[in-house]
Amino acid sequence: MSWDYLFVQAANGAVVGVIYALIAVGVTLIFSILKIVNFAHGDLYMLGGYCAYYVIEYLGLPPLLAMVVAMGALFVGAIVLERLTLTPLYSDATERKDEYGLIVTFGLAYFLRNTAVIAFGPFPLKPPSFIPGVQRLGNLVVTNDRLVAGGVGLVLILGLLYFMQRTIWGQALDAVSQSRDSAAIVGINARRFNSFAFGIGAALAAAAGALVAPIFSLAPDMGVLPNIHAYVIVILGGMGSVSGSIIAGILLGESENLFTAFFPDPTRAFAYTNAFGVLVLMVFLIFRPQGLFGRRHLRME
Amino acid sequence: MRIARPWRVSAKLAVLIGGIVIASSQLVGTPAKAADPLKVGWVGPLSPPGGYAEGALMKQAAELAAEQLNAKGGVLGRPVQVVFADTRGKPEEGTAAAERLISQEKVVAITGEFHSSVFLAEMEVAHKAGVPIIAVDVWALSITAKGYPEVFRVAPNQALIATKYGDWIAAAGFKNVAVLFEKTDGGQSARDVLLPVLDKHGVKYEVVGADPNSTEFTAQIERFKSHQPPFDFFMTAYSEAGAYPMISQSHTLGFAPSPRTGIANSGGPAVDPTFWKNVGEAGKYLVTEIVGLPKNAWNDKTKAFVAAYRKKYNQPPSPQAIENYDAMLVLADAIERAKSTDGKAIVAALEKTDITLGRGRYTFSTGKDPDWAYHQFMNAPVALVQYSKVGQEAEDAPIVWPRNIADVKYTYLKPGQ
Repeated sequence: MSWDYLFVQAANGAVVGVIYALIAVGVTLIFSILKIVNFAHGDLYMLGGYCAYYVIEYLGLPPLLAMVVAMGALFVGAIVLERLTLTPLYSDATERKDEYGLIVTFGLAYFLRNTAVIAFGPFPLKPPSFIPGVQRLGNLVVTNDRLVAGGVGLVLILGLLYFMQRTIWGQALDAVSQSRDSAAIVGINARRFNSFAFGIGAALAAAAGALVAPIFSLAPDMGVLPNIHAYVIVILGGMGSVSGSIIAGILLGESENLFTAFFPDPTRAFAYTNAFGVLVLMVFLIFRPQGLFGRRHLRME
Repeated sequence: MRIARPWRVSAKLAVLIGGIVIASSQLVGTPAKAADPLKVGWVGPLSPPGGYAEGALMKQAAELAAEQLNAKGGVLGRPVQVVFADTRGKPEEGTAAAERLISQEKVVAITGEFHSSVFLAEMEVAHKAGVPIIAVDVWALSITAKGYPEVFRVAPNQALIATKYGDWIAAAGFKNVAVLFEKTDGGQSARDVLLPVLDKHGVKYEVVGADPNSTEFTAQIERFKSHQPPFDFFMTAYSEAGAYPMISQSHTLGFAPSPRTGIANSGGPAVDPTFWKNVGEAGKYLVTEIVGLPKNAWNDKTKAFVAAYRKKYNQPPSPQAIENYDAMLVLADAIERAKSTDGKAIVAALEKTDITLGRGRYTFSTGKDPDWAYHQFMNAPVALVQYSKVGQEAEDAPIVWPRNIADVKYTYLKPGQ
């Protein structure tokens, strides 16, 4: 094994990991507030990517600005979706809230994916690069688009952390995530914050979709694999923990990359990459069932 | 003494007459009225997780064919109605679609499909029902090798495609090949045919399987790059949307296409309408197959189809499109000759097909040596082309293999030459 090869694979794994974390962090936020795993997150990510693409194509805005527009559009769109489909979660009449959330978000995922085929067409599309070209460091070659995705992704995640911990709205969100009843006692309208959290989660998904579109191209089913990755990351990080998602994202990116790079049987290494990611999760959960930074109050009250 | 009541007699008579009418109509069958549509089933992926991009192209071509047939008076004097069934690239959906088309829609025959695994499920249903089914863009050998009389294939199969790749790789002088295939029936079938051909030519290789949903190939490509001795060719049998990021990543990382390593993609995405928009510079020098006639061999029917397709859909047709268009016309021709919509009569007529369409002269083999030859369009055109310019349409790309139809002197255009 050459150290150079290890460095190249590890560096690529870190970049991919940050992109994974960016995709997953919205799922984490939604889970921490609504206490449901949003299986339509990958499809909101897809919608964000397409939204940015069409903003660039028809309005001529630069890619980074298009990403911001996509975030705004998905924020509003997601609040509408949440009002239309998820409000029974907040009613005491709904007994099986976990199952309800699961079924509704799965249904939403299929609906959005199949509507996208009709609305955007079946052929993959690719928006222009954020910054064309590549950066080289020895044998390491990283495209500028990956660096932009990783960099902007980190900024967005850190911004979210700042928002959650240092602003009054973020603290209110955190309060709702810890105890809806206690939050209500101090005057926080939990319902509004449900919508707000779903909107922010979707906006983060939109940002991720817009950032990775020049790397992986846009296709109506582009959210399928990220959905699985996001789910693994959210559990690994500790359901509901934003910091845990970042670390788990990088951990997953690294473990998958290094597995592909070093698994002795080259015929099977790449094909079993996703399975290895899930294996890492299973082994980790044996030793730490609550994930990296998991909290215990995880069900909708 | 009982007095017969006249109304009872007439009621019995009415029941009797009604019974005879119903029974006779069951015995004779309801003759199709001239205006009754002649229903043809279409199966293929139109939504995820299947190859819905290719499915959409095939669907458009089938619609165009039906439109043109109807403009000429239909088939057997009846308008042709294509009933489309989305199979989503899943065998179980294919089974359900074929059952619905046959039992509910009462189609007389079926065409379509892009995924071998799904077609293998659909043809079981068609076989049991005795309904003819024409495979449009599925390449697994087992499809025709099963020997079902109802199954015909207008597409080439892996023996006709992957063998050409193997022979070309050897002729172009490559010695050490990285093979990446998608883990589907189509991809595995390509691998199974290609590797013995490479063995025969003494070409070394390493084979890697890939999840069809993959879009991130960096780690694998870095692994290929670090291989000793270096690979001089990257052969990919990958038909999903991930083919575009794979080609882009391979190019960006300096693996292929490069002066040291060539690249090919088999499966279809390299001839789809948005190929260049997705891969840009990375697509130049890429080798892929076209399963239609090369442009210099186009006949009047090819030209008419291309013109009509461009006019209707404002884009060039892909090879899958012309395959489905021709499949519809092959079927229409067989039904006209059979003068019947009976499954066995159509099968018999299909076996005697001899018609020149946009992909050349169609005939179906009835021999079984090799086993996949049965009901296979043996002269299905396959040519390997290599893009020499960014944005080049597949039909304009130089043909590099087979040599008897090649339109350039070189077998392989090395990047930088």
